[in-house]
Amino acid sequence: MSAKSVVKKIIPNKTGLPEDILLGLYISLVKTRTTDERLRKLFRQGRFAGTYFSAVGQEATTVGPTFGLRKEDIIAPSHREIGAAITKGIPLEKIFAQVYARSNSPDKGKSHPCHYGDRELGVIHPSSTVASQSIVGTGCAMAFQLQKKDNVVLGFFGEGGTSRGGWHEALNFAGIHKLPIVYICQNNLWAESVPSTKQAGIENFSERAKAYGFPGETIDGNDLVLVHKRAYEAVQRARAGDGPTLIECRTYRWYGHSEIDPADYRSPDEIEHWKKKDPVIRHEKILMELGILTVEKRAAIIEDINQEIEEAIKVCETMKYVDPEEAYNDVYSEAFPVRREEDTDD
Amino acid sequence: MKKTTFIEAITEALYEEMERDERVFLIGEDIGIYGGVFKATKGLLDKFGPERVIDSPISEVYIVGGSVGAAMVGMKPVPEIQFADFITPAMDQLIQQAAKMRYRTGGQWTCPLTVRVCCGGDVGGGLYHSQINEQWFFSQPGLIVVMPSTAYDAKGLLKSAIRGDDPVIYFEHKRLYRWIKEDLPEDDFTVPIGKAAVRKEGSDLTIVSYGLMLHRSLQAAENMEKNGISAEVIDMRTLRPWDMETIMESVKKTSHALLIQEGSRTGGVMAEISASITEKVFDYLDAPVTRLCGLDVPAIPFAPPMEHFFLPNSDKIVSAATKLMEY
Ligand SMILES: Cc1ncc(C[n+]2csc(CCOP(=O)(O)OP(=O)(O)O)c2C)c(N)n1
Repeated sequence: MSAKSVVKKIIPNKTGLPEDILLGLYISLVKTRTTDERLRKLFRQGRFAGTYFSAVGQEATTVGPTFGLRKEDIIAPSHREIGAAITKGIPLEKIFAQVYARSNSPDKGKSHPCHYGDRELGVIHPSSTVASQSIVGTGCAMAFQLQKKDNVVLGFFGEGGTSRGGWHEALNFAGIHKLPIVYICQNNLWAESVPSTKQAGIENFSERAKAYGFPGETIDGNDLVLVHKRAYEAVQRARAGDGPTLIECRTYRWYGHSEIDPADYRSPDEIEHWKKKDPVIRHEKILMELGILTVEKRAAIIEDINQEIEEAIKVCETMKYVDPEEAYNDVYSEAFPVRREEDTDD
Repeated sequence: MKKTTFIEAITEALYEEMERDERVFLIGEDIGIYGGVFKATKGLLDKFGPERVIDSPISEVYIVGGSVGAAMVGMKPVPEIQFADFITPAMDQLIQQAAKMRYRTGGQWTCPLTVRVCCGGDVGGGLYHSQINEQWFFSQPGLIVVMPSTAYDAKGLLKSAIRGDDPVIYFEHKRLYRWIKEDLPEDDFTVPIGKAAVRKEGSDLTIVSYGLMLHRSLQAAENMEKNGISAEVIDMRTLRPWDMETIMESVKKTSHALLIQEGSRTGGVMAEISASITEKVFDYLDAPVTRLCGLDVPAIPFAPPMEHFFLPNSDKIVSAATKLMEY
């Protein structure tokens, strides 16, 4: 290779974000993508039970808003927010432990492979009832206001989740009291098999914010720089006491709703169209053009991630399942132990 | 006669009732083009069109509440709740509207609707895709609660529910969908609501159960024969109003009652059955009425060995029966 082809022309940084943030965003983004693709494979190989919800294709919508939050800020996720979990700092080791439900599992094997959470890191373990965490997340924001703390909550949900009445009750309350919460709607155009056109009579889900008295906007959810900047501004407003924001990120999930869904209700053209808007490739291109990333550096980053992943898998796969007796724990505080089924006739 | 799976029996019942009565329509999440997440409504959109097979937004409150309204003015809605776990938002409509409509209006307004609810564990669904919460509705007068365990009953009870004049919660155990296969008659048939079925006759002990647990009970009864215990197995089929007569007659005969329930113990269906047996036929009993239930914890946990630990199974039933007979 000649020297000429190695030296690339570096263009000025017009992204509005400093290099370290652009790179940090990238690392979270590829970490999410690589982990997600690996987990899909593991599920298909039958190496963990239950099901798996992939978020491949829509990572920018979770990584962007989460990046740069404080530790005390809270993430209120739904079922497709592996990117938020990773970006908020949950180590891959714990992500895999959750998925495998072995004895090191953070939820002690109770909930669901994709219900990542961590109290220390401010990530609420989700329930499956969609958009429910946005409701309790709004409650966290209400408490922060009462406690006079400047912590902020990020509530994540799909466009499908916005059809639930409880979601509207929460946004209404947040609007009345100018609560410190930012609602992130990942509009991936499909709620399982139902298209977004059958989910709402309006085109932009962000318009709903208007009814509750706070700003809403619809943005390109596959533009990581844009998503991060807009969400960051909204977080700053929330922190300053200026109330909530609803950001609708237009994006797309590349694969089925879960790994057992062939997703044949979508056209191949639509899928191809969206794959061309791959948020990873788009962000990579920016970093390469700015000279922040090189082919070698990229390879090294992915190599590190893969190593972390393989170690996490090894740990999980050599571990036993959670002790079944664990089923009796964490029903109440220690003051109220649960009567064991076999003890009930004593 | 042809082999029909439990889920096909449901699809057939829907198909036939929609053909028979144009007031019948379906509403639920992913029931149209997708044919339902378990394919219970497969093919119905093509046959009956989007006006009668409505893909709804994720709005359980409306799926049920809207159905109540439509039923009040002459339709026969069959709303689907994708997982029993997600019926909770609709509780307001079920308890405050459906269950009380006839009562609060002096019989002027009624809402004959059939809410299909997919429920149950032993499928690795975890805490939020395995719930079995029939007990909440069981304790609500004004609602009819049904849970079939055979393909014949799945079809016949669903038809009776749709043809009836009352709000019915129809629980479908997802573990039975493709596991249960039976020969079903080609001709139209229904199964009456409110009648239990004796699935196996026996003389030593009465096992009462329904849903998936009925099959675990039958397996256990078969295994017990080898130990010389003759168990009678009763399938409740309708939980509310339940068939007191069939159960009491059996207990009078066997003097032993073992009640099996998949869901958690406290306040479950079997608590009511147990209390009633003690009240009505105490003098016939040779041993205390015994229950075997799911653990008294919030829901069926995810990790496979924990799920197994939670659920009653045929081995656990045999040991409970043996202990009961040794009393
Ligand atoms: C209250 C409730 N109803 C139904 C479901 C079943 N369900 C799980 S995910 C899903 C689709 C969710 O769509 P959306 O909110 O747009 O999120 P996406 O899956 O597209 O990320 C449905 C219907 C559920 N989890 N919770």
